[in-house]
Amino acid sequence: MIAVRDLALRVGGKPLLASMSFEIGAGEFVGILGRNGAGKTTLLRALAGLHPAEGGSVALNSRGIAAFSPAERSRAIAFVTSDDVFADRLTVREVVAAGRYPHHRWWQWTPEPQDAQAIAGALEAVELQSFADREFATLSSGERQRVWIALAIAQEAPLLFLDEPTSHLDLRAAQHILALLRRQVKAGKSVVCVLHDPNEAAAYADRAMLLAGGGILAFEEKELVLTPALLEQAYGLKMESVATASGARRIFPSAS
Amino acid sequence: MILRFAALAAGLLAVAAGALLVGGTELSPGAIGNALLHPNSGEVATIVWQLRLPRIAIGAFVGAALAIAGALLQGLLRNPLVDPYLTGVSAGAAVAIVLSISAGVAAAAVPALGFAAGLATAVTVAALARRGASLDATRLILAGVSLSSLFAAVIALVLTRVQGGGSAPAIVSWLAGTLSGRSWGDMFFAAPYALLGAILAFLSAPALNALRLGDVRAAAVGVDVGRAQWTILASSSLLAASAVTLSGTIGFVGLIVPHVARRMVGSDARYVLAASALLGAALTIVADALSRTLFAPAEIPIGVLLAFIGVPAFLYLYLRDRRTAAA
Repeated sequence: MIAVRDLALRVGGKPLLASMSFEIGAGEFVGILGRNGAGKTTLLRALAGLHPAEGGSVALNSRGIAAFSPAERSRAIAFVTSDDVFADRLTVREVVAAGRYPHHRWWQWTPEPQDAQAIAGALEAVELQSFADREFATLSSGERQRVWIALAIAQEAPLLFLDEPTSHLDLRAAQHILALLRRQVKAGKSVVCVLHDPNEAAAYADRAMLLAGGGILAFEEKELVLTPALLEQAYGLKMESVATASGARRIFPSAS
Repeated sequence: MILRFAALAAGLLAVAAGALLVGGTELSPGAIGNALLHPNSGEVATIVWQLRLPRIAIGAFVGAALAIAGALLQGLLRNPLVDPYLTGVSAGAAVAIVLSISAGVAAAAVPALGFAAGLATAVTVAALARRGASLDATRLILAGVSLSSLFAAVIALVLTRVQGGGSAPAIVSWLAGTLSGRSWGDMFFAAPYALLGAILAFLSAPALNALRLGDVRAAAVGVDVGRAQWTILASSSLLAASAVTLSGTIGFVGLIVPHVARRMVGSDARYVLAASALLGAALTIVADALSRTLFAPAEIPIGVLLAFIGVPAFLYLYLRDRRTAAA
């Protein structure tokens, strides 16, 4: 679905990432990891067509992302950021309704029946049906994150990009988010997700991308990427991996 | 929602009908009704058609324009304390009007000069606030505030120079905001620009809804953020400039009415804009009726009166909000 060729990105005039080439297919869950400042968010924004490429190309279904109109692009790609916002008196339903924007023509002022359906379906997917009329400002961080994801689901785009959806969340809320993203993958969407915890990526993603040194250090099946050796290289920390009783592997920075 | 809008529209009509009864000459409802049906039937008809109706219509026009402009800017900048004069529209218009009155420019040309200068100021402020293709909210506020204070200084300078001269009362009355002495012709001059502004405003409502969630989210759902910002800014500037050229600087309508509208119809921009228009029109008609009756035959400038009503009303809303937020 997404094909990246020789992509180079700059932020604030400084080169950040260069010579990246990869593909992401339908029905895939990709986790992007790397140090703060490694370029994870910028890369995700570039993939979503929200950050211009300095060189190379991002193509969606063989068509350059820059050639899409904003509405066309948003019908194909939903981008979730957890930046906070002054939500005034917005209800959860009103926030999620913003996801229907790309399905309306610019003069269209009133919603259509399929908008209500899409919004209800999105709230159901994140298990917030009973929150529809609550004020957004009264929700917890975990609930807000689910609302942002519901907004993206209401867009009905086949690609779902998320920037750190589990940061600032407690363990339970984070697992909840990742499980519901997994269900979206099962339903046929592709999910690309910036994560900080390699164990989250190991548990939920199919492939993992490790960014370091101004480019991609590794992008493979997660078992091949989330190894002590590669993570040490990316984070500059000694790592160790232990097997749990159930046989799964967990990876940690070793105490020095 | 339909009921709420029906109530707002009915309220506006009732207020307008009530304002028809108010004036220096006492007229009975029957006489006014008759005059409304027969526009050329003599003295009463002249009072109704040439004095009271235009004044009510202009009040409604100015109030609706300021309230929509305020709702637009508050939404665009995600800041509830913003008023439509933030872009320097009123200060720019004021400088041009004050200078042209004191220079003795023909009265007919003054509103056009004010309108042009108001828009020119808004364009300058917008240019200063530009960052790439989009708009920087902090820069917009800084540019608007600094240009406005520069213009206020120019006005103060002119006023000290013309003190005692013939043009001072006209300048002061304009600065304080008034609907007196305006005619249908003045309104028809401003109407096309305000209409264009209102159409742009309502077309921008869905984008405004998305922009409330932040620029990145708006872009992610397909809003052309730069274009939406410029459209909203142009729309609010056209509306505010049309209002200011008609009535001078009437404050508080553009600041408070959107708040009241949001309390009544929620925060969906489509409803907020429509409710703001109806409420702004009604409030301005009432304030104008009060301004010419409270101390009749003397008239208090409507801008002054609105400040007297508006500040306590605003403080009340603010304190009540704070209490409910704390509870």
